[in-house]
Amino acid sequence: MSKHPEYQKWAELASKQMKGKAVDKLDWMTPEGINVKPLYTAEDLEGMESANTLPGMAPYVRGPMATMYAGRPWTIRQYAGFSTAKESNAFYHKALAAGQKGLSVAFDLATHRGYDSDHPRVAGDIGKAGVAIDSVEDMKILFDGIPLDKMSVSMTMNGAVIPILAGYIVAAEEQGVSHDQLSGTIQNDILKEYLTRNTYIYPPGPSMRIISDIMEFCSTTMPKYNTISISGYHMMEAGANSVLQTAFTLADGVEYVKAALKSGMDIDTFAPRLSFFFGIGMNFFMDISMLRAARFLWYRLMSQFNPKNPKSSMLRTHCQTSGWSLTEQDPYNNVIRTTMEAMTAVLGGTQSLHTNSFDEAIGLPTDFSARIARNTQIIVQEESQICHVIDPLGGSYYVESLTDSIISEAQKIIDEIEELGGMAKAIETGMPKMRIEESAARKQALIDQGLDVIVGVNKYKLEDEKIDFDVREVPGTVRDEQVARLKEIKATRDQTAVEKALADLTAAAQNDGNLLEAALPAVRARATVGEISDAMESVFGRFVATTRCISGAYSSEYKGDSGAIDEIKKRTTTFLEKQGRRPRLLVTKMGQDGHDRGFKIVASAYADLGFDVDISPMFQTPEEAAKMAIENDVHVVGASSLAAGHKSLIPALIEELKKAGGEEILVVAGGVIPPGDYDFLFDSGVKAVFGPGTPIPESAGKTLTLLEEKYLG
Amino acid sequence: MLKSPEEYVEGILSHDRLALARTITLIESTLPAHQERARIIVNQLLPHTGKGIRIGITGVPGAGKSTYIETFGTMLTEIGHKVAVLAIDPSSSRSGGSILGDKTRMEKLAVNPKAFIRPSPSSGTLGGVGRKTRETMLVCEAAGYDVAIIETVGVGQSETTVSSMVDFFLVLMIAGAGDELQGIKKGVLEVADAIVINKADGDNVTRAEIAQREYETALHMLMPNSPNWTPPVLTCSSINGNGIDKIWETIKEHRTKLTDCGEMASKRKTQALDWMSFLLDDGLRQWFYNTPDVKKALNELQKDVESKNTSPTAAADMLLRFLPTIGSTTD
Repeated sequence: MSKHPEYQKWAELASKQMKGKAVDKLDWMTPEGINVKPLYTAEDLEGMESANTLPGMAPYVRGPMATMYAGRPWTIRQYAGFSTAKESNAFYHKALAAGQKGLSVAFDLATHRGYDSDHPRVAGDIGKAGVAIDSVEDMKILFDGIPLDKMSVSMTMNGAVIPILAGYIVAAEEQGVSHDQLSGTIQNDILKEYLTRNTYIYPPGPSMRIISDIMEFCSTTMPKYNTISISGYHMMEAGANSVLQTAFTLADGVEYVKAALKSGMDIDTFAPRLSFFFGIGMNFFMDISMLRAARFLWYRLMSQFNPKNPKSSMLRTHCQTSGWSLTEQDPYNNVIRTTMEAMTAVLGGTQSLHTNSFDEAIGLPTDFSARIARNTQIIVQEESQICHVIDPLGGSYYVESLTDSIISEAQKIIDEIEELGGMAKAIETGMPKMRIEESAARKQALIDQGLDVIVGVNKYKLEDEKIDFDVREVPGTVRDEQVARLKEIKATRDQTAVEKALADLTAAAQNDGNLLEAALPAVRARATVGEISDAMESVFGRFVATTRCISGAYSSEYKGDSGAIDEIKKRTTTFLEKQGRRPRLLVTKMGQDGHDRGFKIVASAYADLGFDVDISPMFQTPEEAAKMAIENDVHVVGASSLAAGHKSLIPALIEELKKAGGEEILVVAGGVIPPGDYDFLFDSGVKAVFGPGTPIPESAGKTLTLLEEKYLG
Repeated sequence: MLKSPEEYVEGILSHDRLALARTITLIESTLPAHQERARIIVNQLLPHTGKGIRIGITGVPGAGKSTYIETFGTMLTEIGHKVAVLAIDPSSSRSGGSILGDKTRMEKLAVNPKAFIRPSPSSGTLGGVGRKTRETMLVCEAAGYDVAIIETVGVGQSETTVSSMVDFFLVLMIAGAGDELQGIKKGVLEVADAIVINKADGDNVTRAEIAQREYETALHMLMPNSPNWTPPVLTCSSINGNGIDKIWETIKEHRTKLTDCGEMASKRKTQALDWMSFLLDDGLRQWFYNTPDVKKALNELQKDVESKNTSPTAAADMLLRFLPTIGSTTD
C-alpha cells in the first residue's frame, strides 16, 4: 500500500493551518526516544509483524486469553495492609464486601527486610507502610475468616519470601486447607530490588537460589500458585520510561527462566506460573502500547527455550496505576489521573488491576479514599460498556505503530543486556540503574521547567492548599502490641523444637536443601520471621548496596530558561568565597524504606547546582546519620522519607545531632509527608519540608537561603 | 561551641569527633583566616603525631577500593586499632559541586565507633590534595587514630603526592588480564609497596591468580623503590575476606624491616623535608599572587599578552621584578 492518495493534500492543508510551517514540526519526541507523528495512516501498518493478529493466540499482542474481558473482566485486586494483622484483616473484610475480588497484602518494611518488630534497627517502621508480621500467629489473624482455599491472595514480598510464604502455607494448613488448593501470587522478584526498591536481604547469588527453590517446591505441591511476579512497576516509579520498563522487566524474566532451567527444571513445569506486574503512568497511548508490545516480546523471547505448552510463552500481568504520578497538591486531581491510568491498563489488556487512592502522596489510604479507588475501576468495568470488545484499539494506526516502535526499541536494550551476559551481570555493571536514574533526572528537569505539565504542581497552582479530608495515621502503639505478642509466643513455644528446626534450616542453606521446604517446620514450631531470616543469613550474609550517583543528567536536560539554575550556582559560589567551602549537604534515608529515587535525584541535581553532597548508606538509624553528619561536618542534613517514619525518625535525628554537639547542623525533610505533620516537624526543629513535586531549584534555593541567613547574614 | 584554637586542640586530644571534623574543615577552607587557625592547631598537635601507620590506597575506578577499605578497616578495628579513612572525591569542573558517596560503600565501617571516615571534594582548596590531606592525617593521628588510610582515584597526579606522605602505598587491581596494565600509569607501579589483586572470589579466583603472575613479571622489570623491600603481589577478596589478613601482615613486615634498617626514619625525614619544600613553594606562590600590586599588574599584563601587545616572556619578567619590592615592604 502506498501513501494515501490524498495525503499530500492533507499535508498542505495542515501546513496552511500552521501558517506555512512544515507538518513534521508537529512531531513529538517521547522520553523513550520514539518519534511520534501527528497523523498515522494505513500505510504505517504495512509489513508489521505485530499487527492484525488474534487474541489468545501467538504472539498474544491482543491479549493472552481468547475472549478477554468479553468472557470475564479483569480481577479487581487492591493492594492494602497497615498497622497490625487485626486492623488489616478488618480492612480486607470490608473491601471484599464492597466488590473487591482478590486480596493483595502489603507488608511493613521491617518484615520485608527480615527483622522482627522488636529489632532496634526498625523502631520507626513497624506497621507503617504495610502490615507487621512477626510469626504465623500474625499470619493467622491476617487471614482470619478468609477461606484460603477460595480466595486468591497476592503478597508483595521479595526479601523475606521464605518465612512469609511458609507462614502463609502454614496458616492455610491450620485452616485445614491443603497446599494444592492455594491460589495467588508472591512477588518474589529479587532482581528489581537490587535495581530500585532495595528491600532485599541476601546477596544476589543466594537470592536467586531462593527463587528457584520456591519455583521447584510450588511446581509439585502448589500447582495453582504463581511463584513470581516479575515487576516493572518499581522501575517506572523510580523514573524508568516505558521502553526501559519493558526491556528490564522482560530481561529479568529471562534471567529467572535461565536460573530455573539451570537448576534442572523443565520449562513447561514453571513457565506457565510466571506472572508480570507493570506500572501504568500518564502517557495514555504509550502505556497501552507498552502492554501489547510486552506480550509480543515475551512470546518471542520464550521461543528460544522451545516450550511445548503455549501457556509458557503467554505474558499475563497485573497492573497498578502510578503512585509517583499522584500529587500532594490539589489531591482530588489524583482521582482523575488514576481513572486515566486505569483506562490505559484496561485498554492494554491487563489481567488484574490495582487503582491507587487519591491521598497516597499524603498518607496511607483511609476507608474513604480506598472506596473511591476501588470504585474507580468498578465503574470502568461495570458502567462504561468497555468490556464487550476484545482489544478495542487493535488496528488503530497509531497504537499499532507505537506498539511496533516499543517492540524494536526495547529489543535493542534486551540485546544489549544479553551481550553483558544477562540481567544479573548487567545489574552488576550498574547499567540498568544508571539508565533509570538518567531517565528520572531528565524527567525531573522537564517538570521543573514546566515542559512536562503537572496540574496543581507546575501549572494552575492553588493559592491556598487545604486538606479537607481525613488522613490515616498509624498509631504509635503498633510496635508495643507486636513486641508484646512476640514475647508471648517466645514464652509459650517449645524452644528446643524451634532451635532444632532453625538449625535444620541453616543446614539446608549450607547443603543445597530446598529452603521453603526446610522453613515449614520452623514456622510450625513458631519461629519468627526474624529468626528464620537470621538462620539463612548466617550462611548467606546480608547484602550491602553500593549507591552510585550520576551527575550532569539534571543540568544537561535543563535547557530552556536556565536563569533559576544559574542564580543558584552563583549563590553557591558566593557561599564558597565567603565561607571557605561550598554549602555541604548530607542526604540520608533513615529506617527501612528503600525507595531511593528522590534521594538520588536530589543528590545529583544539588551537585550540579554547586553543592558538595554527601550520600549516606541506605537504612540508617538516626544515630548513624548523625555520626555521619558530624564526621563530614555538613551544614545541613536532608532527610528523605516515603514510608511514614518521619514523625519518629526525623525528631530522633535532631536529638542525636544535639547529643553529639552538632546542634548547628540544619535539618530539612522531603518526601511523602502529610501536610498535617508539617507543624509537628517544625516544632521538633525541622527548618523546611519539601513535599512531593517540589521543583529542585525551589528546594535548593530555600535551603540555600536558610544557610545564607545563618552563615552570611 | 568551639572557638579558640586551644579548644580545638583540647577536643582533638580528648578524641572528640566533632572537634576533629571541624578542624578538617578549617584545614580545607579557602579562607586565609581559617588556614591561619588551622596552622596554629596543627602546630600544637604535632608532638602528638607520628606514631600511626600511614597507608595510601589507589586503583583504577572499579577496582573496589571502597569495598576493600570496608573489609580491611573493619578487620583492623576488630584487632584493636582505630582507623581514619580520608577519601578524595572529584569535584565537577562545570558546577564546582561534588557527590561524596564513599560511605555508601563502607556501610559497616561508617557506623563503626572506632572508625572516622572523611570524604573530601578535590577542588575548592588551595594547595590541592597534598597539603590538606597531609595535615588532616596528622590531626587524625593526634585524635587517637593509629592507622590512617588515604584513598585516591588511580588516574592523575595525586598518587605520587599521596605516596610521598604515607609509609605504605598499596595499589589495588582487578583481574581482567593485561589490559589494566596499560590503564595504570607506570609511575604508580614504581611507587607501590604492594600490588593487591582484589575480587579474587567465586569464579574469578583463577583469573586473579593469573593476573598475580603477570604483575610479578611486570614488577621484576622495574627498579625496586627501596633496597630493603621487594613489593609483593597479593590476591584478596573484599567479599569473603580471604587474603585481607595477609595484607596486614605484609604491611607490618614492611614496617619492621624498614624500621630495623633505619629506612623508615629516613623516609619520614625525607617526607618532612619534601613537605617543607612543598609548603614553601606553595606559600611563595600564594604570597606572590596575593600581593595587590601583582594582582593588578597580572590582570593588565594578561590582557596585553592576549592582544599581543606584550610577549609572554616580557610579561613574566615584569611581574617577577615585583619580588624585591614585596620582600622589602612585608619585612
